[in-house]
Amino acid sequence: MSGAEVTLKNIFKSWNESPALNDISLDVPAGKFTALLGPSGCGKSTALRIVSGLEEPTSGQVFIGGHDVTHTLPAARDIAMVFQSYALFPHLTVAENIVFGLRVRGLVRKQRDEKLKATAQLLGLSELLDRKPSQLSGGQQQRVALGRAIVADKSIFLMDEPLSNLDAKLRAEMRDEIRALQHRLGVTMLYVTHDQVEAVTMADQVVLMNHGRVEQMASPRVMYETPATLFAAKFIGTPPMVTFSPKLLSHCLTPNFLQKSHGLTFGIRPESLSLSDNGLINGTVRNVEYLGADTLIECKVGEEILLCRAPGWTQLTEGTPISLAFNVKDLHVFNTASGQRTAEMLPEIEMALSSQNASSKLAR
Amino acid sequence: MRNSAKHQWIYAWLLLSPAMIFLITFTHYPAVQTIISSFFSTGRGRRKSVFIGWDNYDTLLLDEVFWKVLVNNFWYAVWTIPLSIILSLAMALWVNDKLRGRSFLRMAYFTPTVLPLIAVANIWLFFYTPGFGLIDQIRGLFGFAEQNWMGSPDTALYSMIAVAIWKEAGFFMIFYLAALQTIPPSLREAASIEGASKFYYFRRVAFPLLMPTTLFVSINAVINSFRLVDHIFVMTEGGPNNSSSLLLFYIYEVAFDYWDTAYAATLTVVMLVILTTVAIGQFFFLDKKVHYK
Ligand SMILES: Nc1ncnc2c1ncn2[C@@H]1O[C@H](COP(=O)(O)OP(=O)(O)O)[C@@H](O)[C@H]1O
Ligand SMILES: [Mg+2]
Repeated sequence: MSGAEVTLKNIFKSWNESPALNDISLDVPAGKFTALLGPSGCGKSTALRIVSGLEEPTSGQVFIGGHDVTHTLPAARDIAMVFQSYALFPHLTVAENIVFGLRVRGLVRKQRDEKLKATAQLLGLSELLDRKPSQLSGGQQQRVALGRAIVADKSIFLMDEPLSNLDAKLRAEMRDEIRALQHRLGVTMLYVTHDQVEAVTMADQVVLMNHGRVEQMASPRVMYETPATLFAAKFIGTPPMVTFSPKLLSHCLTPNFLQKSHGLTFGIRPESLSLSDNGLINGTVRNVEYLGADTLIECKVGEEILLCRAPGWTQLTEGTPISLAFNVKDLHVFNTASGQRTAEMLPEIEMALSSQNASSKLAR
Repeated sequence: MRNSAKHQWIYAWLLLSPAMIFLITFTHYPAVQTIISSFFSTGRGRRKSVFIGWDNYDTLLLDEVFWKVLVNNFWYAVWTIPLSIILSLAMALWVNDKLRGRSFLRMAYFTPTVLPLIAVANIWLFFYTPGFGLIDQIRGLFGFAEQNWMGSPDTALYSMIAVAIWKEAGFFMIFYLAALQTIPPSLREAASIEGASKFYYFRRVAFPLLMPTTLFVSINAVINSFRLVDHIFVMTEGGPNNSSSLLLFYIYEVAFDYWDTAYAATLTVVMLVILTTVAIGQFFFLDKKVHYK
């Protein structure tokens, strides 16, 4: 079994006036793990259901393995799906649930039993085959739903927030397990989640959605290091990137430059700020959150609040004046109006700030 | 400890007693009294009611009308029960497909079921009227002759059966519709991803999940096939020649037209025995197939 790629081309979907999906185009590479990430209501489930064929797009095309399947029935799309609610048949046993699709397709008893046995072993369900879903824990039900998908031998797995009903510990376990399963089976995975940690830890590629549009499609690393939009910058990372107006740096930028940077927003990740004797940013400590390995320092600078991730042993009290330094390379620049990342003024900013940095170092 | 357990008992009895009093006064006592009455003669004028043992039951076995209404009631049940259940299920499936989750339209479908049977009977009187009635008018278009549906012994009972099915199916549909609404749509979606046809989904998923409703509905259907006789009063009064009379209608006639209360009690006992047997049997027979939880 090996995956097939999935492509959405200019998909629109609306039920009433406001569209749920607004010109979605995306590629899910064969055999890779792609996470569909976004806040609740942004259209992730709708996009997944359009791939599965449970929903038809208002316009646009769906390709699976290079074939246009926009109007193909779900069963003919080579997909298996795990629902958020698991969608187990309550009156059937675990075994009957798992082989439901095989029976539909008229597979003979012997083959059915073989596949059932192999799948049950893979998921550790062998002891539970005669139980009804209501006699299983949430995690076990989740496994049965996975089993139903695995036994079908399909090349694409679609999962809609499969872990959202589990407790935190089980969720972390299942995260690894699903990831390992995808590797082992070599299937193409399209995985919907609203949890950015889940997406970043599990996926080869993350598709970030917002308001029915794709914000960014990239590997977790690229998305973290170079978020394409303000939204992406603020959605990925715990805690997310902090953004501020260029005015915060007015003391080290020329008035002319400030004028030009009027429509920009700067962003910086908490770990890119460090405590310094003589940094570019000066403020006061507003709050300190001790996290063990790290300490998160909320720093008030003028009207704005910045976050700095300092080593765990750092000890500061509220109201202490502090100075924060950063590497100019770690500064992200966005166009405030469009929200897009921009490289337009980057050289000038770097020049202005690094000369400042140099002079502040000299002064020291 | 002991004391508080005792208190709880007193509490329980106090809470139960209002319902118990009503139940005993209006259900259990009359039922027992009916059984007792069936072993006495009907008191008339100066003749007192006396114990006569099984005499009433002997009369019953020789009563041609009793056997006739029993056979009528058998056919009435045989047709109305399955047909009204199948029809209600089919309608519920159809309606559920068309208007998933739209409560207003579902309410609209409920309206006909609040019509009293007497009103329904009046509507059907218009349908059945020879010559002018809806059915004959339609038949007339195709050149068929007039037909006295309620007046002919061959068709009177079946005319009553049609009314009962019409009334019952709408009522039962509501239960099926409610049950269908509780089946999560994701089950159907999961089945369709596995390639299950609509019929396959119905057979392996929806129908088994509807079993508790089917049990409930079928017990009601059985009881109603003995209980629902209002339209007979309005439409045929059991005629012609008792061809459309049913057990309960006959009991009414015996009790309140002939004033033979003891014999009416005897007939009632027969009806109670039939109903209890059927309901208990049904419960145990279907119970095994119903529970999936
Ligand atoms: N069947 C439907 N009918 C009408 N609107 C819907 C339907 N399904 C989803 N929507 C709307 O589409 C938008 C996207 O929904 P969904 O894809 O479920 O979001 P997500 O899964 O990202 O939380 C929401 O605004 C939702 O209200
Ligand atoms: Mg969703």
